[in-house]
Amino acid sequence: MPSLTAPPPTTREPWRRVGPPSHRPNIFESLVRGIGGRHWTFALGVAMLALFLLVLVLTPWIAPHDPAIQDLGNRLAGPSAEHWLGTDHMGRDVLSRLMWGGRFSVTIAGITLAICAVSGVILGALAARRGGWVDELVMRAVDVLVCFPDVVVALFLIALFGTGYGTLIAALTIAGWTPFARLMRGLALEINAKDYVEAAEVLGSPKWFILFRHVIPNALPPVAAMSFLRFGHKLITVGALSYLGLGVQPPDSDWGAMLLDAQPYMERAPWVGILPGAAIFLAALSVTLIGQGLDKKKKSRRRRSVASGAPGAPTPVHGSALDEGEAL
Amino acid sequence: MLMFLLRRSLVLSVTLLVISVLAFLIPYAGEGDPARKILQARVNDPGLEPAQVEALTRELGLDRPIFVQYFDWLKQAVTGDFGFSYTSRTPVGELVTPALSVSITLALAALLLALVFALPLGIAAATRRGGRLDNAITFISQSAVSAPEYWVGPVLVLVFARYLGWLPSGGWTGPAFIVLPAVALSLRPLGYFTQVTRAAMSEVLAAPYITAARSRGLSFPVTLLRHGLRNSMLPVMTLFSFWFAGLLGGAVVIEVIFNVPGMGRLLYTAVVNNDVPVIQGGLMLILTLAVLINTVTDLLYSVLNPAIKVTNA
Repeated sequence: MPSLTAPPPTTREPWRRVGPPSHRPNIFESLVRGIGGRHWTFALGVAMLALFLLVLVLTPWIAPHDPAIQDLGNRLAGPSAEHWLGTDHMGRDVLSRLMWGGRFSVTIAGITLAICAVSGVILGALAARRGGWVDELVMRAVDVLVCFPDVVVALFLIALFGTGYGTLIAALTIAGWTPFARLMRGLALEINAKDYVEAAEVLGSPKWFILFRHVIPNALPPVAAMSFLRFGHKLITVGALSYLGLGVQPPDSDWGAMLLDAQPYMERAPWVGILPGAAIFLAALSVTLIGQGLDKKKKSRRRRSVASGAPGAPTPVHGSALDEGEAL
Repeated sequence: MLMFLLRRSLVLSVTLLVISVLAFLIPYAGEGDPARKILQARVNDPGLEPAQVEALTRELGLDRPIFVQYFDWLKQAVTGDFGFSYTSRTPVGELVTPALSVSITLALAALLLALVFALPLGIAAATRRGGRLDNAITFISQSAVSAPEYWVGPVLVLVFARYLGWLPSGGWTGPAFIVLPAVALSLRPLGYFTQVTRAAMSEVLAAPYITAARSRGLSFPVTLLRHGLRNSMLPVMTLFSFWFAGLLGGAVVIEVIFNVPGMGRLLYTAVVNNDVPVIQGGLMLILTLAVLINTVTDLLYSVLNPAIKVTNA
């Protein structure tokens, strides 16, 4: 007698999802859900970052003045209706320069962060998956590179290749991927030992599928937390190099370069030398608040699982302030 | 343990080899003839006679195969001889040694200052977890790690040197000159130290032996000092030496702002003036020290805490 129900679909790839896709929350939903239940500083960080990004994206339309137009008769003027935040040593509008300069600072920090996060995650996952000499190679590279201060690496590269955006991004990437690799390796080792990964292996899933379907998605929350924390650190380092005249080169200008320009006028017009630094500080603070807010939730969850687990087992401190303290 | 040492010394030597090759290549990288660039850096004059360039090429042996040149350079470098600075005409060693001692002083001053404030803050936050004090301290530490030192430094100069006139704005000729750069430099490590102390301390305070000590009748402060502090200091010490290694050459901005004659400023001015021997010597020293200090820290970590074995590092 033929069965009434349809036979299960036969496929060469049994690990592929069959049946209707379950509802997976999109980014917006998880963001809204994520803010609830966290500390208010997390929400403050999200609001600050959103404001920063909004202003920087809209800069070409909302900047009150052309950032390059000089008005030498109106140098170092205090805040006024015409120039909300005053003018700099060449009579240029400080607010407009802050907005345009912020685009450079945030973009460079964002690009380097993306390169660091992606390469670190891939190398860390690879090290955990392959083990053996791959693991050895990656982790020994991490051991060494993690001790190199970013500014010294930057000076090294500048001595070799001169200043430029390529050098700047490379300088922040060479050592910058290491915390991500270390974090990802630890997480991947944890995830690889899970039953669902074994199940996927038994089903014959290819390695890349397990990596992208199981390992990386499950490691994302801590990686995201670290990305935010590292973003603040990148902003500060980009500013430091520009402050030394080795980062963003004229005629382009970022917050660090604006601080450098303002140094001779600190006494006469303190706002010119304080505002760009305050912008770096607030931007870095916003992502630090977000990153630690994300991290905290993750940790409280882990603490519970540890408490029910074997007593006395030392908990691995990945993704904690210790990793993040590796920020020079 | 022996495996760990062997492995780490292998890593260290490979690192040094790579860094030395890159440092050696500095005058050859980019466009132009190395001899011409060296002459330009020395005399700061764009118009050079071709004969001069050729003479220097022969004098420095720049016409030999590059491998021969590298090994000759390396032979001298391992004895600490990187040649003479182009700008000051003094041996690199004589420039680097005082600069390093200045940097060590500044780094220690800044980090000890950070530690003095971070330990009480972190412990207070850990003992009042989730409370108002904890929240306030966490927010302070988050602000501290987000504050760029090249912003804090000039503001400190403005207030304490220009307006109030209490402290010198820059230089390095007495104890008073250490204060402002050390304070500016201590802010970010202060934030990180506080966070790590809080995390380590709250983990320790949740451990059964703390309950055991308390139930034996030990007062809370005594428990904290005798059991809590001792067991939570390890991660803080690791971070301390990590920052120490980093600040030996990495405090460039603060040293430039405050005119402190340390390693960072030495390296920075060398890069700006294209003073190749100083760049090479400085980089080799800073990066070697960074790797060495961190290796020793890892080693100490396993000695101080036998529960963590280094063999599976």
